[in-house]
Amino acid sequence: MPTAPIKKHELLLDSSFMARLDQLDVMSRKILAGKMKGERRSKRRGQSVEFADYRNYVIGDDLRFIDWNIYGRLDKLFLKLFLEEEDLSLYILADVSKSCDYGDPSKAMYIKKVAAALGYIGLVNYNRVSIVAMAEGIVAETGAMRGRKRVAQMIDFVSQLQPTGASHFTESCRRFALAHRQKGVCVILSDFFIKEGFEDGLRYVAGGKYDLFAVQVLSPQEINPDLQGDLKLRDIEDNDMAEVSITQPLIKQYKSNLNAYCLALKDYLTRRGATYLFSSTAVPFDTLVMNYLRERGLLG
Amino acid sequence: MSGLPTFLNPLTALLAAGMVVPPLLLLYFLKLRRREQQVASTLLWRKAIVDLQVNAPFQRLRRNLLLLLQLLLLLLLCLALARPVVHYTPSPGKNTVILIDHSASMSAVETFGAANTSRLEEAKRQARNLVDAMGKDDRAMVISCDDSAQIELPFTTDPQRLKTAINAIEPTDRASRLKTAYKLADAQTAFNPEQLRSGEMDLPNVYLFSDGRVLDAGELRLRGNLFFTPIGSSDLPNVAVVALSAKRNYERPAEVQAFARLANYGPDPVEADVELRVNGEVRGEATGELGCFLYPERWDQAQRDNYQKIPGHLPHKNSVTFPKIEIFSAAVISVRQIPRGPDALAADDIAYVVVPPPKSLSVLLVTDGDYFVEKAINSMSLKHPDILSPAAYEDDPKLGHPITYDVIIFDRYQPRWLPPVGNFMHFGSIPDGLPVVAVKEQGQNVMLSRPGVLDWERDHPILRGLMLNRLFINEAIKFQIPLPAAVQVLMQGYKGPLMVLCRQDRCTHLLVGFDVVNQSDWPMRLSFPVFMHNALEFLALGADMDVRLSYAPGSTPRIPRVNLQQAGVPDRIRQIKLDGPMGRKTLTVSEEGGDFVLPALDKVGVYSLDPPIPQFEKIAVSLLDANESNLMPQTLAPGGIGQTATGRGKAPWELWWWIIAAAGLPLLMIEWWIYTRRMHL
Repeated sequence: MPTAPIKKHELLLDSSFMARLDQLDVMSRKILAGKMKGERRSKRRGQSVEFADYRNYVIGDDLRFIDWNIYGRLDKLFLKLFLEEEDLSLYILADVSKSCDYGDPSKAMYIKKVAAALGYIGLVNYNRVSIVAMAEGIVAETGAMRGRKRVAQMIDFVSQLQPTGASHFTESCRRFALAHRQKGVCVILSDFFIKEGFEDGLRYVAGGKYDLFAVQVLSPQEINPDLQGDLKLRDIEDNDMAEVSITQPLIKQYKSNLNAYCLALKDYLTRRGATYLFSSTAVPFDTLVMNYLRERGLLG
Repeated sequence: MSGLPTFLNPLTALLAAGMVVPPLLLLYFLKLRRREQQVASTLLWRKAIVDLQVNAPFQRLRRNLLLLLQLLLLLLLCLALARPVVHYTPSPGKNTVILIDHSASMSAVETFGAANTSRLEEAKRQARNLVDAMGKDDRAMVISCDDSAQIELPFTTDPQRLKTAINAIEPTDRASRLKTAYKLADAQTAFNPEQLRSGEMDLPNVYLFSDGRVLDAGELRLRGNLFFTPIGSSDLPNVAVVALSAKRNYERPAEVQAFARLANYGPDPVEADVELRVNGEVRGEATGELGCFLYPERWDQAQRDNYQKIPGHLPHKNSVTFPKIEIFSAAVISVRQIPRGPDALAADDIAYVVVPPPKSLSVLLVTDGDYFVEKAINSMSLKHPDILSPAAYEDDPKLGHPITYDVIIFDRYQPRWLPPVGNFMHFGSIPDGLPVVAVKEQGQNVMLSRPGVLDWERDHPILRGLMLNRLFINEAIKFQIPLPAAVQVLMQGYKGPLMVLCRQDRCTHLLVGFDVVNQSDWPMRLSFPVFMHNALEFLALGADMDVRLSYAPGSTPRIPRVNLQQAGVPDRIRQIKLDGPMGRKTLTVSEEGGDFVLPALDKVGVYSLDPPIPQFEKIAVSLLDANESNLMPQTLAPGGIGQTATGRGKAPWELWWWIIAAAGLPLLMIEWWIYTRRMHL
């Protein structure tokens, strides 16, 4: 069900919660190369304190990195290589299509809060944070942000996001993938009710360069519909009408289908090395952030 | 309970069904108005609908199941509106009296159901149904009734005995009266007077099976609860002989003339032929145009007039006078109506008259000389016109016993003794000991001077057809009548009665209060010999010159001891055999006692006695009862007592509330349950 319009400067994160978020950092199961030296191990070999590997000495190399212990044993010259510390790109894809403007508590508000929380965590840990709003394609984007000083800008951006338009997930993912070639952690916050199918869109982001976390957010009304009688269901996005006579078997079938859909989504993501997480807007978002996302390895 | 239900109100049910069923169907097949509901996505809903389509037949069935249940509920309500009933025989109650009418009208044959049977048989069948409905400890008794009542079986709880008693009831030709039957019913049922006083009553149920044609409807009283089951239909054809008389010409005693009158109790005019038989031999017929054409008795005058106005319709003719027949001995004359169409009751189709043998009267005139009276009796064909002087009369012992003369005429002589039995005429004198006395002053009769004739009984057989208003009477005895009930005044003068008829014991006295010869001019008038003729005839034969010698069914003729003695009963013969329509019965006559009473003669026909008893050799019993011949049954209980039961002892049991309670409500609950299950999340 549609929710009241979100106030422009509604506080998404309160200060106490942000203090709790300071403890967290975005984790990645894959060590990904960042552009700058951040607080992240990168696969690149550079100058740092952390030994990575050896290579043969070549004339011109820095003599300070020769491993004299190995020379003493093998009478050969090897050079120590060290891991480079680089920044992590965190991409937060928030679904702001009309379908998220539904539920009590509202899915849209929930997604925005989670997005803000993740954005905050990324920024305070000097990760490169980009928040992308998806609906009919990419409707808004922050661009890459770093540092704590960008927190207010980020929260302001997220606050102003309004559910709008239909969901063109495939196009949105394609555009995102083309525009953001830097690898990183990609968190998709959506209900994933995509009539064109989620497979094509996820193909652009799942597997390969992104460490993908897909968080499916649904309202309690979608999980356990409280409907009765003979109804004309109107799709909030495309005004598609479905005439139904609510019966127990129909509800049962709907739930079964929902369960199957979610399982199919999970299976698709899992097969591609992505992480799937289901949440209801009835679950407090701080619980999602502090507990579930940590458990699933996105935060640590 | 038996029989399929019938419907008291089928049209209402059909109308209701026509009004409510189509709208219900329309509502179900019209596009439903659906409430709009916004959802995040119809993606999964559509899929669910599609998936459910796989079980489409069951879905359709589930949707239509409600429709079917609601249709069924509507149809049940319509069925209830139609008021279906089944006829069943309710339990008659703890104490039941079964009254079965077996009078003459109950012998009428008509169609009941698919069978032609008599009303009595139908009544017995319904009574047996009632017995079948009795509870285990219920008691019942059986009483048969016609003009009297008889307990066929006292109270019992044995249904088999009750049915046997019912089956044993035989038809009679007697009339219908219920007073005795109701009294029997009241007397036999055990009720506690204490209960009556306290207001708690356990009155018996009295079931009357009859056509309701009773003669004493206004005199009925009953304490129990009466349920009247009328038996019979009102459109039965029946022509009856309702009157028959035969008369001998005493001038020519061998000649007999018979008169018959018929009545039609059916719904339509009928023609009837009439046949006269003497001792079984046809001696006269009135057929064709000479026969009767009878309008229905139930028609009023306007209907009769309207019918007669139609060209070709015959006028109403209901009587037949047969030509004179010569009968030289005692005979049984029967008149039978021969129906040209169906006739429901046979007992009233024939009537009998027993004509005594031709007989010349034996008359004794006690006089000192009376030219005119002597002339009058000598002119008649009398057997013994004896004349005695008063002195000779007083001395003649043969006049005592047995009776010698039919009539003894005392002319201006007051006899000192009279035979114990006989018929007497007294001119100008009154014997002692009669209910009529002469007014005396100083021991002499008070005489009325020139009393004149004020009035006379013009319809009386003695004075019928006579003109007496100019009769001159110089003086007459002044009568005093202490007991008017025993005396009939035949001629009234301006100053008092002039001629009276009185009976005392076995004697009949005709008292003429004046000397017809010396104190009146009557002998000079034509009326005098006619009077003499009529008077002798009347006195010799009894109360009616047009003698109806036919007894009503159920009569118990009383034979005077004198008549028995004439036949030597019981001196030489102790037993009499009675033969007739009821079979042969042997009756024992006691030596002591007075008259002998025959048993009730229930059936129409001619009975004979062996040995023959004078004046009772043949006894005729004829129905001649308009009430019994009228076969239209009464619809209301006789006398307005009780209620009329419907049908063949069965009461209707309406099913509508059973339909609603036992079928409709559960159906409604099932429909509600299915509806809520549809909505249940």
